[in-house]
Amino acid sequence: MSSLEADADDFAYQQTAEPSTLTPASPRELKGLIKDWRAGRATRNVMQAMGDAYVAVFGAVMIGAMVVNVILKAQRTIAQCTSASCLSARTLLPWAAFAAAIAIALAASRLFGPVLASAAEGFWLLDAPISRAQLLRSRLVGGVLAAFLGGAVVGGLVSALTGSGAVEVAVWAGATALSAAASVAFAAAQQGIERHVLTRVATYVFGLLGIGALFSVVGVAAGWFSLDLSNDLGTELGLIMIAGSGLVLAVSAVVAALRLGQIRRARLLSGGALVSGVSGAFFALDIGLARDIVVERRAIERGHVKPRRGKGLGLEAIIWREWQRLWRFPQPLLVLAGTIVVPYAADALGMSTLTPVLAALALFGALIPLLGGLRVLTRTGGLARCLPFSLARIKLASIAVPAILAGIWAAATTPAYLGFGDGAEQRTVPDASFVAVATALAGLLAAVRWTQAKGVDFGAPMVASQAGAFPPGLVTNLFRGFDVCLLTTAPLLLGFSPFWSLLIAAVAAMILLNSMDAEALRARQAEQQKQMAAQRKQRDEAAAAAKQRKR
Amino acid sequence: MAKRATILKVSGLRRAFGPNTIFDKFSLEVRTGEAIALTGRNGAGKSTLLRCLVGADSPDDGSVQVCGNAMSEASPEIRRDVATVIDDLDFFPDLSVVEHLDLLARAHGIAEPDDVVDEVLEEVQLVPQSGQLPGTLSSGQRRRLALATAFVRPRKLLILDEPEQRLDTEGVIWLAQRLKSERQKGLAIVFASHEPELVDTVATRVIELGAPRG
Repeated sequence: MSSLEADADDFAYQQTAEPSTLTPASPRELKGLIKDWRAGRATRNVMQAMGDAYVAVFGAVMIGAMVVNVILKAQRTIAQCTSASCLSARTLLPWAAFAAAIAIALAASRLFGPVLASAAEGFWLLDAPISRAQLLRSRLVGGVLAAFLGGAVVGGLVSALTGSGAVEVAVWAGATALSAAASVAFAAAQQGIERHVLTRVATYVFGLLGIGALFSVVGVAAGWFSLDLSNDLGTELGLIMIAGSGLVLAVSAVVAALRLGQIRRARLLSGGALVSGVSGAFFALDIGLARDIVVERRAIERGHVKPRRGKGLGLEAIIWREWQRLWRFPQPLLVLAGTIVVPYAADALGMSTLTPVLAALALFGALIPLLGGLRVLTRTGGLARCLPFSLARIKLASIAVPAILAGIWAAATTPAYLGFGDGAEQRTVPDASFVAVATALAGLLAAVRWTQAKGVDFGAPMVASQAGAFPPGLVTNLFRGFDVCLLTTAPLLLGFSPFWSLLIAAVAAMILLNSMDAEALRARQAEQQKQMAAQRKQRDEAAAAAKQRKR
Repeated sequence: MAKRATILKVSGLRRAFGPNTIFDKFSLEVRTGEAIALTGRNGAGKSTLLRCLVGADSPDDGSVQVCGNAMSEASPEIRRDVATVIDDLDFFPDLSVVEHLDLLARAHGIAEPDDVVDEVLEEVQLVPQSGQLPGTLSSGQRRRLALATAFVRPRKLLILDEPEQRLDTEGVIWLAQRLKSERQKGLAIVFASHEPELVDTVATRVIELGAPRG
């Protein structure tokens, strides 16, 4: 056959070949394919992995059993308390947990999506000619289920720890679980039409309701007012909440499912990128980095602000900017205000010995968002290098505003240490003031320590374990901040004078806020060592030369 | 003619990572109105050297003096005299572009910073982005903001690590002219660059680090 004939045959073949009808794979098939790939690449099954990490699994089981035991014991103790303070806490704190669960679920949903997709899914799957709604349905269900479980744990725990009976605990666990799940479904429905105003408003409304419920606990315990809420009524209202939340969940879930196909790819991927960044930071146990990623995302969402002229010169300019930044993003102030209730509530619940520790831990958490400036100035050192001050002075300027707020917090919580609830430890006004100041200092310094934490150094010598080698910083990083908090409040817990706590706080402040001077000392020491080494080298060389001459 | 003052004096600097010596016995003296360009292939040690010069990294041996003061990143005097643009510059996520520049100018004692801030913003072409938060800026715009932080404050020595990075052609031309004018006004400059035009326009001396690619 000539080449011409062969070409003609090829042409004929191309002409006659029927274009095959391609049937796009269904989302289920694509997911199955991905699952196969993943399973095919696995080198160990779950049981083998757990076997390797048996120490961690055993530890988790042990700690879990201890936590459950502590909860049950606390529940039994508190259930016997029949004072007005205990009754008010028992009646109102589940409401606070209910509102807080909704606020947190809505805020988290708004931040992450709640429906999201990873970068790989966005590139490979969302571009495929398949039903996006079908592909994303499992994500919606997963988010709703996660919120349901989280809500159940929070609602059940709060209810149990305030001394409620089994029925009440079940009712509040159910109500809080359904309300959290409904919140996620509602946010997903809003995500479908890219409207977030309602979600944002609801977040603030329920956040304020939660804080209001906490304040009511204090008000009733202090005898400022009384609320005629019996436990039975609370349970009945809880049942109504279950019905209401269930209805909202059903309607929102249906609407969200119908709108799943409308969610833009960019929105899905931005949530996925955030989750992957945050989860990466959590895998390295770098919680500071996880927070940085979330803060950056919030700022990007805001995007643009009306610039404000600064004030003052030198360090004063930094303090003014801290103040302006706080007014620009004032949400942390709400949380800080909410934590004022903690010592009152703890005292009202008859936990007066633990009150300083719990209050300091709450303040520690509330102050971290207020120390964003300190975080930026200490995490890389690049921006601090642009400022003509020592790092110690920059740190002092950065914490000036949070320190003032911690001072106000101390003043507002002083009455809680006077002996607030029934049977609480009675103190004089000066003593109560010192306890409040020591507690505030513990919270502030713990937040400063947490904020300044550097990431885990994976270049450091590793520690061997059954689950593989890991740097020691991976574990110690988890306790950063908590250590200062507990160490500073330990004398109060043990019944010693608050002056011991103030002394510990002073030492901690010197170490945490003066670290750059310590660095300068280290640098000077290194310089001296270098000079000594150079002198020694010169002496050795001179001695060697002298020996040579003698020969 | 009066002798120009020495701003930066580097003597016998050595930096090694394990068995790999990046540079050894490196000495340099930079006077007012001088611009030193560090060139060389990737990995030649330009950035490491600059990090040692600004105190972000500690040399294994040798000394660095700025205006007669031994280099210490903690020293406020050195922070006042040295403006740097190296890769570790961070920004406040909730302060806008113009607010960053205003803060830096005020921190350096400029009582009425509006004029200088506006002028620098105009130069780096970030006026339309002045109210934007840094997270929303493109990588090129972030680079321009980083450069602006060096120009908005008083300085005696400018240390820049590949300042042309992520700048467009116009941006590189602007940067070359700006640095040339800074040098002519008496500023001492040390910069690392891969951009021949920038090196030719700005540098009074060129130092090639590392062995040339064989």
